[in-house]
Amino acid sequence: MPTSSESPHDPSPTLTRRATRSGIPPLRDYFREAWRFKTFALYWSAADIKARNFDTWFGRFWHYLNPLLFGLIYFVFVGIVSDGFGDTERLAFIISNLYVWLFMSTTITSGVSSIQGGAGGIMAQSAIPRAILPIASTLTSFNLFLRSLVAYIPIHFGAGRTLHIENLWLPVLAVFMACLALGLAMLTAVLNVYIRDVSRLLPHMLRLWMYLSPVIWEYTRISGDGAESLARLNPMYPVMASWTIAFGGRIEGSEFSMVMGVLVFGAIAMATLAIGFLVFVAREDDFAVRN
Amino acid sequence: MTLQSETKAIAVTDLSLSYSAMVDVPHTNNRPFSRGTTRRVVHALDGVNMTVNAGQVVGLIGGNGAGKSTLLKAVVGVLKPSDGQINLWGRPHLLAPGMGFNRKLSGRENVILGGLAAGMTLDEVRNKQDEIIEFADIGGFIDMPTTTYSSGMFGRLAFAVATHVDTDILLIDEALSAGDTSFRERAVSKVREMCEKARTIVVVSHSTSLVSEMATHAFWLHRGRIMMEGEVGEVAETCLKHLAGGETAQMDRVIAGEMPH
Repeated sequence: MPTSSESPHDPSPTLTRRATRSGIPPLRDYFREAWRFKTFALYWSAADIKARNFDTWFGRFWHYLNPLLFGLIYFVFVGIVSDGFGDTERLAFIISNLYVWLFMSTTITSGVSSIQGGAGGIMAQSAIPRAILPIASTLTSFNLFLRSLVAYIPIHFGAGRTLHIENLWLPVLAVFMACLALGLAMLTAVLNVYIRDVSRLLPHMLRLWMYLSPVIWEYTRISGDGAESLARLNPMYPVMASWTIAFGGRIEGSEFSMVMGVLVFGAIAMATLAIGFLVFVAREDDFAVRN
Repeated sequence: MTLQSETKAIAVTDLSLSYSAMVDVPHTNNRPFSRGTTRRVVHALDGVNMTVNAGQVVGLIGGNGAGKSTLLKAVVGVLKPSDGQINLWGRPHLLAPGMGFNRKLSGRENVILGGLAAGMTLDEVRNKQDEIIEFADIGGFIDMPTTTYSSGMFGRLAFAVATHVDTDILLIDEALSAGDTSFRERAVSKVREMCEKARTIVVVSHSTSLVSEMATHAFWLHRGRIMMEGEVGEVAETCLKHLAGGETAQMDRVIAGEMPH
């Protein structure tokens, strides 16, 4: 039987792998290694965007069409279940809110599938820091989200909406939204590695969460007292309320504080991202054997 | 052939690796598709010790399930040791054809993606792009989506990308069978060229003849343990003798091209 003994004259190894309990790795080393793959993340994301719809007739126009069609469907749905279809303002309201919701839900689902799908053999054959994968899929969703907003511009002005000072909050909200979605994607991806049913449940949970959040209904419908006020504990409440105001202006009778809404949501988003990231990196050694 | 030195490149000490995997639990009535599953612990490596010097080309041989691929994955960092440790002098790279590829994109685009996934910088990939494409030798298909490629063409492109990565320690796991016979000869020649550049190389293959062709030194793994270490021909012979007669050995030898299919 061969043995390998370290000679005292051997230089120190450049890399050592040893048995350790699962846990958070040295973060400085982790970030340094992840940074080495930043270009890969950007190209992986760009490749994903190009590959989507590549075999369809409309091709990349689906990036613009998809949220518009979703918006139209929910406009019809809301019109049927409520007191009428309303005007173009309602259409603009639903579409602008759905854009941000679709961004978040696709970021979470694609973040989970980026780990579950093995990422082109990367999970099984490479030691690339796994956090690169959900980050790349978040970049993809963010890119598509920004592109889809172009299609919203004519609807915005067609509905009589104007440019106003609250519009300046939109980039801040979009970045916080990306942080929340990435944090949730990482948490859900880890959970899904251990309990596969999570990916099956996820679309249903996201759909339910959308209906419970002021996405296709106005945030002013939550009254200040009673059980309804619990809806304010939903992390999507401050962001959807802020998003609605940032796009379409303040709804009449609203007492929602925009600054407070953005601050609360920002804190929730950053905390979710930090927790999601730490849980993810602490468990990522298990991904290769459990995938 | 090699510029072997006494400096270590890989030192594996008392390495054990276990993981849990889902396994089928056949029902007593033996009806197909009516099986349950359970999780079972697999002891893939058990107290493995292995030293590879810089510039050495080493073969890992053994039957199916011996732990050869697991050992390479532990060295590259995909799988974490359950016990023991691995010291490395240099950055390892597992030659994984097709890693990071997006099948819907063209061959040219996949050269960039695959190179970046393998740890190359964008400048490195761009500088080597023409060389990689020339090596793959797939003609006008390079600008077509890889979904239109035959498996041989895809294998050639993927192998071309994987072998143009500059690395200190190259780990090759059954990756030399891409394409037709002439491409296989070029693939073997490419790996030899890498050996001449003093790279440390570990080759895993069912084909003891291929390992003998590439390596000077070999380790025989069986059920997660190193059974023998030494000159490649001697180790390969002993390994085949040990496995002879069993179904696994027969299959190995068929794959190795030493028995008729």
